[in-house]
Order: sequence, then structure tokens, then C-alpha cells
Amino acid sequence: MSDVDTAGGVRRVRSVLQAASGGISRTKLLLVPLLLFDLLVFVAPMGYLLRISLAERSVGGGALQRGTWSLDGYQYLSDSSVVTTVFTWTMLFAVVATLLAVGIGTLYAYAAWRASGATRTVLLAGVVMSMFTTLVVKVFAARVMLSPEGVVNDTLLAAGVLDSSLLLVNNEIGVLIGQLYVVLPYTVLAVYSVLTGLDESLVEAANDLGATPVRAVREVVLPHAVPGMAVGGVIAFAWSAGAFAAPLLLGSTSERTVAVEVQNLLSQFNYPAAAALAVVLTTVVLVVLTLGIVLLRRRGGLRDV
Amino acid sequence: MSEEPPTRADGAGETVESGPTPTTAGSRFGRVAVGTWLFRAGVGTVFAFLLAPIVIVAVTSFGDSMVLSLPPETFSTRWYESFLDSSRWQRATRNSLIAAVGTTVLATVAGTTAALGVRNLGGRAEGAVLGLAVLPLLVPGVVLGSSLLVFLGEFGLQQTYLAVIAAHSLWATPLAFSVVRASLSRFDPRLREAALDLGASPTRAFVEVVAPNIRSGLFAAALIAFVVSLQEFVMTLFVSGRDTRTIPVLAWNSLRNSLDPVVSVVSTLLVLVVVLAVVVGSLVVGLERLAADT
Repeated sequence: MSDVDTAGGVRRVRSVLQAASGGISRTKLLLVPLLLFDLLVFVAPMGYLLRISLAERSVGGGALQRGTWSLDGYQYLSDSSVVTTVFTWTMLFAVVATLLAVGIGTLYAYAAWRASGATRTVLLAGVVMSMFTTLVVKVFAARVMLSPEGVVNDTLLAAGVLDSSLLLVNNEIGVLIGQLYVVLPYTVLAVYSVLTGLDESLVEAANDLGATPVRAVREVVLPHAVPGMAVGGVIAFAWSAGAFAAPLLLGSTSERTVAVEVQNLLSQFNYPAAAALAVVLTTVVLVVLTLGIVLLRRRGGLRDV
Repeated sequence: MSEEPPTRADGAGETVESGPTPTTAGSRFGRVAVGTWLFRAGVGTVFAFLLAPIVIVAVTSFGDSMVLSLPPETFSTRWYESFLDSSRWQRATRNSLIAAVGTTVLATVAGTTAALGVRNLGGRAEGAVLGLAVLPLLVPGVVLGSSLLVFLGEFGLQQTYLAVIAAHSLWATPLAFSVVRASLSRFDPRLREAALDLGASPTRAFVEVVAPNIRSGLFAAALIAFVVSLQEFVMTLFVSGRDTRTIPVLAWNSLRNSLDPVVSVVSTLLVLVVVLAVVVGSLVVGLERLAADT
């Protein structure tokens, strides 16, 4: 009895739902989980962050005064010389890290693409393994490796390349190397995935026609790799602009990034300023991302980003 | 460069012999050889650079002293024992597993349904869904972490498993979505239509026709979601608490004080899990697809 009732109820509910949705097809209903998820976990929290950035800072206790509107958070950012220095340094750092990651990543992806059989598998496995290793492990190992008594310095000293050990941690070099660990696997894979669509015999044809390897790469491979390089570059820039772990563990206080500063402000309970800085950082990243997509569209080489 | 057009006109494939003079041709090949050699050395260095962390944590985890030395003077498994004895680390391991399983389920379901739903959308709507789906991947982790911290804090949900799973899914869902989408693009939609014409319900058509054909894609999506959750760190640092922190967060906290040998042990175990996942993944899906689709 109750079974029949439930079944009937379900049928009725379903028909009501279908009527209410006004002919929205079942396929569109499939989008509901993702949209709901993004709305609750991404759009709403980001909106709330934006709202907090426009609230007044609380004077005594508490992180902010609810329901107030003010630009104090943004004012604090432009007044603070620390924040502006940190911001400039972070952007410069992100650009350098992106260029290095795209350059090295493209070379590596090209090598993996040209290699065959076991070599290709090994080269790709190295990237996938590195991508799937947690940030903390990579940055921690980089610290062990790069310290004055670390492997890199020991090797170079023993080989007679150096007279005294290089300072590779607690400075820009350390942060840069650490950040490359974070983004390089993604730039390699972004370029590799577009190269798989290119016919390898084209390169051989170019070689047969007398092009040097460098020229063959420049005129045949590179134009095809550009969309992958752009996608990799966008990822590298977004993540380097938001670099957090590498600067904290491999840098000194002069290599503080925006992300580190956001956390500082949060821990000082200056919520409006922290939120404002996060909003500004996100805006810069998204503007760069949009520019990247527009440039790519103009070249007519857009796959799905 | 200027001598090349005539040679090309002379005869295809004859460039090597018909180079201007034997000497310049020889030096050109010498340069090419050196270039090739340098290129290989460069790629080898990058490869070593990528894998060095894994080797380092594996070797140092078997050291015997309190201070990390490389290579260790004596080998022992004492840090593995202290890992097994530590309730803090066991708790973190359990938290990591809970977060990873939750993320896998959430990200795979949301990613797969969306990949199926977005196919027939077309035009602007499809672009909008794709953009929204991928966008969280490009917002800095610290920003996402702080937004979740303040937002979930309003509902008293910060530092819960739910918060950690939500944060991890923010990155795992777009990846699962694009992997399943790539896999669906290789699936012939006429097969599904045939099933529908033969009277199967849409659900039955998915279970019996679509799913078996994109099985490897679904598997890869779940695997990637699992691994993303295991390794995520920045957002977790913000949204987790003492009772819910995962292995990377506890490792980070231990490292802020000193280089703790137990971190090497934990890292090695994490890497082993990932190796296992990559091996299983490449057996099922093929390494090249795993590398190209993510």
C-alpha cells in the first residue's frame, strides 16, 4: 500500500517538477550539482569576501563591523608602503616565474613529444609524479637540496665549479626555484597536450628540407604549441601571483608575497584590509587571464581553456 | 639562411649533399650535434630536478639522527616507528583519507553530471558553464581559503570535514569535469541514441551504454580527485582545524619549527600512494591520456 503511494507520489512530484521547469530538459538538470556546488562554495564565499572588503574595521575587538560600508580596507592598502612594495615584488616575481616555467616547460614537452617508447614514458612519468607530489614535500625537499650544505652546493663544490657555496635559500633564487616546482608540471602538460595533436612527420619533413632543428622547431612546432603555452602561462601566472608556500619556506622577509600578506592581515584581525587585498589580487589575475584569452582568440588558436 | 631557397629548388631531400661547401656543412652538423647534446643535458637536468624531492624524502626517511643529513650516516627505521607511534600523525592520516574519499565522491559526481549536461547546451550557455567550472582553478588558493574561512565561519562550519572537502572539491571538480568531458568527446553519441530508440530509459542508457564506454575517463577523474585532495595544502591550511588537519598541513606545521625527520617518512608514504595511483591509472587509462587530459 505505502509502496504504491510512494511511487505515485514520486511520479506526481516528478511531473510537477517537469511542469515547473517549463520544459527544461533532463540534460540541463544534470548541470544542477555543479552549479549548486559552485554557487555555494565559490560564488557566495567570493561575494562575501568582496562585501567584507567594503566594511568598516572594528576598533575594539572583533574583526569587522557588520552592516557598515567603507573604503577603509582599500585605503589601508594604498597607504601602506609595505603592501605596495609587496605587491610590486609579487607581480615581478610572477612574471619571471611564468616566463621561466613556459620556456623550460615547452622545451621539456617538446623533448617528451619527440622521444619515443620508454624515454617518453619516463619523461612523462617524471612530470605526472611531480605534479601529484604535495607542495609541502616539494618545497621541503627544495630546502634540503638548496641549503648551503645541501646536495646542489656539495656537488658543485666537489666538481670544482664553485669556490664557496652559493646562497640559494632565503633569497629570490630559492623562492623562484620553489615556485617552479609548483607550476612547471602544469606548463609541461599544457604544451604536451597540444603537441599530441601535431603530426611528428612534419618536423622530419622540415629537417629533410634542410631546416636546422632549431629552425624546424621555430617554424613548425612553436606555432602549434602557442595555445598550450598560453594556457600554461595563464596557470603559471595565476599561481605565481598567489604564491604562498615557496616564499614562506624558501624566502626571507624581503620575499614576502601578496598571499603571505593576506594571511598576515587576517591574523592581525584586519579583515577588511585582508579581504581588499585578496580582491585586488584576484582582479589582477583575472584581468591577465582575460587578456590571455583575448590574445589567443585573435590568433584563432583557442582550444577549451 | 639566404642560401637555402636555391637548394630547396634544386632537389628535395638533397640538402645535405648540396650544401654550399663541405666545410660549412660539416661545421653546421657539428653545431647541431653540440646543440642536441646541450638540449638533452638540459632536459635531463629538469627531469632530475622534478624527481629530486621524491628521492630526497625517501632517502632521508631512513636516516638515524635528529638532524637531517644527506646521505644519512647510518640507516634505520626509527622515524617510521615514531610515525606509527604518533597519534597526531595517525589522526592526520585519517583526516586525509576522509577528505580524499569525500572529495572523490563529490567531485566525480558533480564533474561527470556537468560534463554530460554541458554537451548539448551549445553557444553562450556552454561557454558560461565551462568558464564557471574552470574559474576556481585560476583563483589563488589563499584567496579561496580566506573566502571559505570567513564565509563558512558565519555558519560555524569552519574547521569541519565539510569545509575541507568543499575546499578540495573546488579544485578537484574542474579537473574531473574536464577529464570526463575529454573522454565523452571520444564517445559516439549515436550509441546512446540507439539505446534510447530501443526503449532504454536515459538512466539505463547511461549505466549500460555510456558509462562502460567512458569507464576509463570516469576512473581517471576519480583518481585525480583523490590525489588532488591528498596533496592540497594552501586552502586546507585556512579551513582546517586541529581535529581536521590533513597530512600536508601537519607536515607544514612541523616544518615551520625545524626539519622534522618524521615529515620525510610521511612524505615518502604519500609519494608511495601517489606512485601506486599513477601506476594503476596508467595501466587502466594509459599514461599519455592521463598526462594529456588533465
